[in-house]
This record gives sequence, structure tokens and C-alpha cells, in this order.
Amino acid sequence: MIKATNVTKIFTGRGQTVRAVDGVCAEVAQGEVVVVIGPSGSGKSTFLRCINGLEQFNAGSIVIDGVDLANKKTDINKVRAEVGMVFQQFNLFPHKTVLENITLAQKIVRKRDRAAAEAKARQLLVKVGIAEKEMEYPSRLSGGQQQRVAIARALAMDPKIMLFDEPTSALDPEMVGEVLDVMKQLAREGMTMVVVTHEMGFAREVADRVIFMDEGKLVEEGTPEHFFTEPREERAKLFLKQVL
Amino acid sequence: MLATQRLWPWKLLLAVILIGMAAGIWGAVNRIDYTWRWNRVPDYFFYIDEESRQIPFDGRVKSIIENGDVTTVALLSETGETVQVAIETETLRVTEGEELFEGDIVGFASEWSLGPLMTGLWTTLWLSGGASVLALIIGMLTGLARISRNYTLRGLSALYVEFIRGTPLLVQIFIAYFFIGTVFDLSRNVAGMGALAIFAGAYVAEIVRAGIQSISKGQMEAARSLGMNLIQAMVYIVLPQAFKRILPPLSGQFISLIKDSSLVSVIAITDLTKSGREIITSTFATFEIWLTVAAMYLIVTSVLSQLVFYMERRLAVSD
Repeated sequence: MIKATNVTKIFTGRGQTVRAVDGVCAEVAQGEVVVVIGPSGSGKSTFLRCINGLEQFNAGSIVIDGVDLANKKTDINKVRAEVGMVFQQFNLFPHKTVLENITLAQKIVRKRDRAAAEAKARQLLVKVGIAEKEMEYPSRLSGGQQQRVAIARALAMDPKIMLFDEPTSALDPEMVGEVLDVMKQLAREGMTMVVVTHEMGFAREVADRVIFMDEGKLVEEGTPEHFFTEPREERAKLFLKQVL
Repeated sequence: MLATQRLWPWKLLLAVILIGMAAGIWGAVNRIDYTWRWNRVPDYFFYIDEESRQIPFDGRVKSIIENGDVTTVALLSETGETVQVAIETETLRVTEGEELFEGDIVGFASEWSLGPLMTGLWTTLWLSGGASVLALIIGMLTGLARISRNYTLRGLSALYVEFIRGTPLLVQIFIAYFFIGTVFDLSRNVAGMGALAIFAGAYVAEIVRAGIQSISKGQMEAARSLGMNLIQAMVYIVLPQAFKRILPPLSGQFISLIKDSSLVSVIAITDLTKSGREIITSTFATFEIWLTVAAMYLIVTSVLSQLVFYMERRLAVSD
């Protein structure tokens, strides 16, 4: 489903160059849940953003469902419609109601008519457990509710892959559970997911595979059982000691 | 200390200060020798225009029908054509059956007409209204060009904004009329409105640019991540939010534009300010007219700011 080869992203500014992502190779199979963990600044979010073209990488290749992102002829908008993204800061559209947030892209990108888009939106709102809030504006919702709307908004496009960029990091602790529950349900339904997170519990419970990144490099990968109990690399050991 | 504060002493103080200022002005004016003629001012808003009604051909008076203050006179030409004119009864100058020649006066009709203050106000309104619309279009495009990825567009728009903001409007109006207007044969109205639009456009551009840049990058990213292209994301997501934020500074800019439009009187456009000057040259009612003109500008700008205030409240529903 996703095949990344030697992906490298270099940020330049004020005479400094930072290799935020440095030669990362990774594959994600259909229906697989991959959790990316690592210390802050390890490049995991940047790598995730490369997968749907929010960051353009400088070298390497990413192929999604047979489409090469590095190819100039690739229509990135078409790729993005197939790849849902959930952000740390939710990024709901504040001037639109919950329902409009979920129907807008369906209407203008997927060209669905209003009735079909609203039916889909309502069905997803039931799924994420906030059906009663459809006429509210995002500012009236709690963080956890906003993030669930954001997940519904991404799912409304019927994506083949869902990317999560630290979806629970901006939430109050008591709201983390409700968002993770929705994500677990998605994983059970067989959605292909790449999740950048600091929730080790989630990684252990839901991930098919864990990728550990540090300083832009993919340091170690493996099943959660293996990674959390007997990591090979020193850096992984040190990181786990700090977070667990 | 309690949070509640008594307000009435401060209201009283405000009233005392205002009354004191009014009394001071009154006293100062009384010390100079000035005769106030406020009674002449209303004539410059509306006045009764008496106009003669004439027979358009050689012929005779066919009938006179009196109906209170208004009398309808039917006129018959030598070729059998009939024309009716309405005049005021007491100004009737003809009798039934009288023979008349073309251009003879049948009587007078009077009607309310707009005085120079009203026609001047109207000129100011359409001049600044038209300039506002143009400025909005120019400012939108320039504002978008300012944040474009294209170097040439960025450079051009930056030069435009720098040049316009760095030179006085009065000089720009002279350039627009005497230089550009001469080269391209523009009328004074076109040159005046154009100069105002280009001037305000530069400020609108900066307001638009700042408004768009104030919307968090996440909004654009979220829209793009759903597969919207750049234009869709701008139109549906970024610009509506930016518009809400730029409405207050934008309305301030348009209020400035109404006031700045008084400068076009230097190229002989008869706006409210120039009308005021013309009235003064014939009446010497300097104090009255300038105070009236100022009040008229104030009314227009207050109406506009109330309108914007109302719009802001309506747009605030999603906050």
C-alpha cells in the first residue's frame, strides 16, 4: 500500500541544513497498523507529512497504491483524497458547522450531492459517537469531540489509508481515551493506518508493527511484543526507559 | 475591593466637560463679530425651483381645468396636436381661447430640487463607493500577489504598495489627473476615482495579506489533505475566515476613503467639500457651512461603521 524508499527531507534556513528525514525505507501493507514512535524532533511527523505531500521530500521515493509521489505528473490532490490525515491540532474549519466540516470536501472533491454527503456525514458522526453535535460550531466542542469530528471528516472521503499525526498530544488526559477508542475501532475494521504517537499503550495494543525513529533515521522496527520487551538498539532502549 | 463601580459620577463629569466646552466655544464666537445665518443653510439642501412652462408651438388655449393649487392647461396647435401642461393656479397667465405663439409663458410650476450640499454629497458617495469597489478588487489581487510563490508577482505588488504608501494622496491625484489623465485623455471623474481606488487599494492589499497570513497554516493543510486544490482551499476555507478578520480594518480603510475623497476637489470635482467652498464664496456663511459639511461626513461614516458593526456581529456566530 505504501512503499517508501530512502526518503530524505532537508530543511534549510539561516545557513543551517537539517536532515529531518534521512534515508527512511518503510513499507505498509494493506490493512496494517503501523505506529511510529521516537523522541521529539526525530522526524517522524515530517516523514508522515511526506506521505501525503504536505512536505515535499528531497530524495528517495514514496509509492502509494501504485502511484509514485515523486513523479511530476502525479496529481497530488487525487492522492490526498485517498489518504486521510488527522492532525495534532485538529484543524477543523472554525467557520463551518460540524456537518459542513464533514460534507464540504465530499461535495467539492468527490462531487457528491448534498443528500449523499450529509447521509455519509451523519453515519460517520454516529460511528465516532457525536451524532447530536452536527449543527454545532467546532469552538463549542471539547478537544476530544473536535478530534473525533476530524477523524470523521477524513473518513468521509473513503480513504484507503489514514495518517494520524500525534492525534492525542493536544488533548486533556481525560479525553485521550475517547479518541483512541475510535482509532482502535478503525483498526479492527481493517483500515490501513500509520500513526505517529506517544501513546505507548495504544502502540502495544493495536499496532501490527512499530517503527522507532531518531534523528531522522529509522532506527528499529518490529512487532510491538518484540520492540517493547527486547529492543535491539541502544537508542531504542534508552527511549523506552524514559517513556515507560 | 468590590468589582462594581458607581458610574454616575463619571457620567456627570463627562456632561460637565462637554457643556463646558460648548460654553467656551460659544463665548469665543461671541467675542468676534460674526452674524450667524443658520436659516440660510436649509436652502442649500433642498430648494423650490420655479420653472416657466411654455407653449411648444403656435396655437391656442383649448381648456383650463382648475383643481385646487394645480391647474391643467390644454393647448391645441394649428395642426390639431394637443399638449397638456400643469402649472400652479395663481401663476396662470392665459385665458381660455387665447391665441399664443411658440415660447409664450403659460404659467409657472415649482418643484423641490436638490441643493448643492445634496448634489455634492451624492458626488462624494458615488465617487467613494466606486473607488471602494475598485480598491477592494485591486487590494484582493495585490494582496494575493504579495504572498504568491512567484517572484515577479511578489516584486510587482511590493513595488506598487511601496510607491503608493510612500507618496501623498494629493500628489497622486495631481499625477492621475494632469499627467496620466492628459496622456490617456481621462475625464476628471475617472482620474479622481482611479486615484482614490489605487491609493486605497495599496492599503487594502496589506490588510488582505495580513488577514490571510493570520489564518493558521493548519487550515490550509487540512483543506489540502482532503484533496482540495489550492484555489478551492483558498475560496472555501482560508478567505472566508480571513474576511471575518479583515472586516474591521477594511471598514476603517473605507471610512478613510470617504474622508480622503474630499481631496479630489482640487481637480475641480464638485464633491461635498467643493460644494461647501462654492456656497461660502457666495454667502460668506463660513462657520455654518463648514460645520454642516463636517456633520454630513460624520453621518455618512457613522452609518457605515454601524453597518459593519452589525455585519461583524452576524459573522461572529461561529466564535
